[in-house]
Amino acid sequence: MTQFHISKHVRSLLAAAAIATGMALSPAVAADLTVARSVDADSLDAQKASTTQSLQITNLIFDTLLTMDKDGSVHPGLASAWSMSDDGKSYAFTIRDGVTCHDGSTFDAAAAKASLDRALDPATLNPNLSAWGPITGSSVDGKVLKVTLSEPYGPFASFLTSIQAAFLCPSSFATKEFKPVGTGPFKFVSWTRNDSIELAANPDYKNVNPLIENPGKPHLDKLTFKVIPEAVARMAALRSGEADLVEPSLEEATDLKSDSKFKVYAAEFSGQQMLAAFTWKIKPLDNPEIRKAIGMAMNRDAYANIAFEGLVNVANCPVAPNLFATDESLCAGWGVSYDPEAAKAIMEKAGYTADKPLKIKLSVHKLPGWDQMHQIMQQDLAAIHVEAEIETREVAAFFDHMKGENERTDGLPVVWTMGMSGVDPDYLTFLWKRPGFVNMGINAQLDGMLDEQRKLSGDARATKIHDIEKYLMENAYAVPLLSPGWGWLMASGANVEGFKMGFMVSLLFNDVTVTR
Amino acid sequence: MMLLIAKRLLIACSTIIAVIILSGLLIHVVPGDPVTAMMAQSVTATPEAMADMRSRLGLDLPVWRQVMLYLWHVLQGDLGTTIRGNEPVSRLLLQRLPNTFALAVAGLATALTIGIPLGFLAAINRGRIADTAVMIIAVLGVSIPAFWLGLVMIQVFSLKLGWLPVAGSGWRNIVLPALTLGLTYCALVARMTRSALVEVLAEDYIRTARARGLREHQVLLVHALRPALISLVTVIGLVFAYLLGGQVIIENVFSWNGIGRLAVQAMLERDYPMIQGFIVLFATSVVVVSMLIDILYTLLDPRMRQR
Repeated sequence: MTQFHISKHVRSLLAAAAIATGMALSPAVAADLTVARSVDADSLDAQKASTTQSLQITNLIFDTLLTMDKDGSVHPGLASAWSMSDDGKSYAFTIRDGVTCHDGSTFDAAAAKASLDRALDPATLNPNLSAWGPITGSSVDGKVLKVTLSEPYGPFASFLTSIQAAFLCPSSFATKEFKPVGTGPFKFVSWTRNDSIELAANPDYKNVNPLIENPGKPHLDKLTFKVIPEAVARMAALRSGEADLVEPSLEEATDLKSDSKFKVYAAEFSGQQMLAAFTWKIKPLDNPEIRKAIGMAMNRDAYANIAFEGLVNVANCPVAPNLFATDESLCAGWGVSYDPEAAKAIMEKAGYTADKPLKIKLSVHKLPGWDQMHQIMQQDLAAIHVEAEIETREVAAFFDHMKGENERTDGLPVVWTMGMSGVDPDYLTFLWKRPGFVNMGINAQLDGMLDEQRKLSGDARATKIHDIEKYLMENAYAVPLLSPGWGWLMASGANVEGFKMGFMVSLLFNDVTVTR
Repeated sequence: MMLLIAKRLLIACSTIIAVIILSGLLIHVVPGDPVTAMMAQSVTATPEAMADMRSRLGLDLPVWRQVMLYLWHVLQGDLGTTIRGNEPVSRLLLQRLPNTFALAVAGLATALTIGIPLGFLAAINRGRIADTAVMIIAVLGVSIPAFWLGLVMIQVFSLKLGWLPVAGSGWRNIVLPALTLGLTYCALVARMTRSALVEVLAEDYIRTARARGLREHQVLLVHALRPALISLVTVIGLVFAYLLGGQVIIENVFSWNGIGRLAVQAMLERDYPMIQGFIVLFATSVVVVSMLIDILYTLLDPRMRQR
C-alpha cells in the first residue's frame, strides 16, 4: 500500500493558497437554474402562443424589434433605430448589425420581413394578429425594414416591444414542423410537454433591453422550466432545492415574505388590470346612478389586503398602471370612491330596501384571490340592498356565457369581473369598441374616440386616452379594481440574485446568478 | 373461442364508434370554444379576427359535420393535430402512454400486494377483531382523499426525509404516486377479496375439502383463494382500464406527466382534437381491457366455457 505523507509545511502552504484564491471559502456560483411553474407553455411558436406561460418562454428565445423601459418609453431592440413618416402611415426600422440566430444564420432585414409576413398571415392563426395594426405591406431596403399602414396606428411602437410581437428567425418556420430558433438570450434545447423545457444561454447574445443590466451572455448556462401543478409541491421543490425559482400560491407568498431564506417577486409592470363591468342594457343597470352605487359599495382596499393578502394594489384606471398615458391620480377623480352609506342612499332612493333588494348575478371565473374577492364583494353589495348570487365558471365557459349576457336587454342583471393585460392602453379598443370582446361594446361615441386614439401619437394620444377612460368611468361602465391579478408572483431562495420581471409578467434571467 | 373473440371485436368497434360520435356532440355542448379560450388572458383580436380563426379551424361547420369529419379521419387512423401547438395528437398521447401505463401497473400492483392479504385476513377472521380492523382500514383507504394523502407523502418522504424527489416522471418519482394510488385502491381490493372469499368458503366443495381431511392452509390457499381471485379479475381489469385513462389528481400532486393532465389541459383550452383523441384512447383501453377480461375469464374458469 502506498501512503502519501504531506508535511506540515506543505499543508500550511496549501491552506494559505486556498485562502488566497478564495477557493474553499466562497460558495460556488451555479451555472444552472430550475424554475417550477403551475402550467406548461401551450406552444413555443411565439406567433401562435396565447398564454402568459408560453410567452414567458418565447420571450427568452426570441427578441422584439423594440424594447420598453420602466417609464413606458420605447427603446431599440432588434432595430437599432426607427422612424415614422409624418403622416404616420409608414415606419422604417434599421435592423441592428451583427445579430445572429441561434442556428448561426444572420438576422437581417429580410429575416425580419419573413417573420413579419408570417405573423400577419391569417393561416398562421396568430391570436395577436389584430394587435399588429392595419399593416398593408412591408419591404426591405438594405438594412431597413419598411412597414406601411393603411392609417396611422399610435400603439404600433408599444406593441413592437410586447412579448406578443416576437421576431422569429426564418429557419423556425422553414419546415412544416416548427423549430424555435430566435435571437434571444437563451437557445431552445428540448421540450417534454407538461414536464419540462430546457434552454441554454446564447453565447453571442448582446443585450439592449433597458430593463436588463448584463450587456452580454446570460450568467446562467442552463435554464430548466419544470411543470409542478400543485402549489404545495412547488413549495416543497423550492424548500428541498429541486427548484430555485417557483410560482408560489398567495398564502405561501405571504409566509415567504417574512422569511429571510426566501425572496418574493411581484411583477411591477404586469400590464394587468382587473375590472368590474355591468350588463348595462338590462334595467336597472341601464341607469348610471345605480352602476355608480354598486361601484361605491366595492371596498377595493379590502379586496387587495384581505383577498390578495396585500400583494396587489388598488388601481384606479381601466388601464393598468405604468402603461402609456395611465395617470392614477387623474382616474381617481373620475371614478367612484368607496362610500357605502352614499351608495345605500342611492339604492334606497331608487326603491331598493333590505326587504326588497335588487337581485343580480355576480358572474365570475375562477382564479386564486378572485374567489375571496367575490365573496367580500357579495357582502359589500348586500350592505347596499343588492342581493348578488355568485356564479363561477371556468374561464372559457365564462367568456362564452358573458357573450350572451352582454347582449341581453331583459332578465336578471349581471355584474361581472374580468382581467386584461397588454403593453398599451389600446386594449381598450379590443374590449369596448362595438361589438367588442364578448359584446362589451358601448356606443358610437366611444367607438369614435377609440378609433381616434389609434390615429394619434404622443400627448395628443394621451389626452384622447384620458377622455376614453373618463367616459368609461364617469358613466360607470367600468369599475377599475386591482392590478395585477394573476400569475404575477415568483419566489426563490435567498441564493438567487438578479431575477427580474418585465412587462406582461415576462421573466428576465440575463442578470441572474445563483450561489449554492 | 374464435367466434367469441370475433363477436367481442365487433361489439368493441361499434362501442368505440358510438363513443366518438357521442363525445363529439357533447364537447360542442360545453360552452366556450378554442378561440375564446385563447383570449382568456389578453384580448388582442377583434371579433372579426376571432370569427376568421374559427372558420380556418373548421369550427363554423355544423357540429354533426365536424363530428363526422373527425370520425372519418379516425377510421383512417388519423387523430388530427392539436389546435394550440399544431402537434399530432397521436404523438402526444403516445409520449405519455408509457408513463400512464407504468403508474397504472405500479399502483395496481401495490393495491393488490396490500389488498389481497388484508382481504384474506378479514375473510378467515370473519366477525373477529382482525376483520373489523381490516374493514376500518378499507373505509379509511376509500375515504382519505388521494390529494391529501399525496401531499402528506411529499411532506414526509421528500421534504422531511429527503428520500425521494418531489416532482417529475423518472423511475424514482413513481414510488410515491404508486404508493398513494395503491393505498387508495387497496381498500377496494381488500373488500372484494373478503366478500369473494367469504362466499367461496360457504361453498359445498370447501366443506368437502375439509371433510377429506385437507389441511386448513391447503383449503384456504388452493381451494378457496383461487376461485375467489377469479371474481376479482373483473374488478381489477376495470380498475386498470380506468387507471389507463390517467389519474388527474395523482398526476397533479406528483407532477407525473401522464395522460390525465394532458386531457384536463386540453379541456381547459377547448382543444377539441386533443380531447377527442384522449376519449378515443380511453374508450379503446376500457373496451380492450373488458374484452380481455371476458377472454381471461373463460380461460381461468372452466365452467364459463360450458355456458
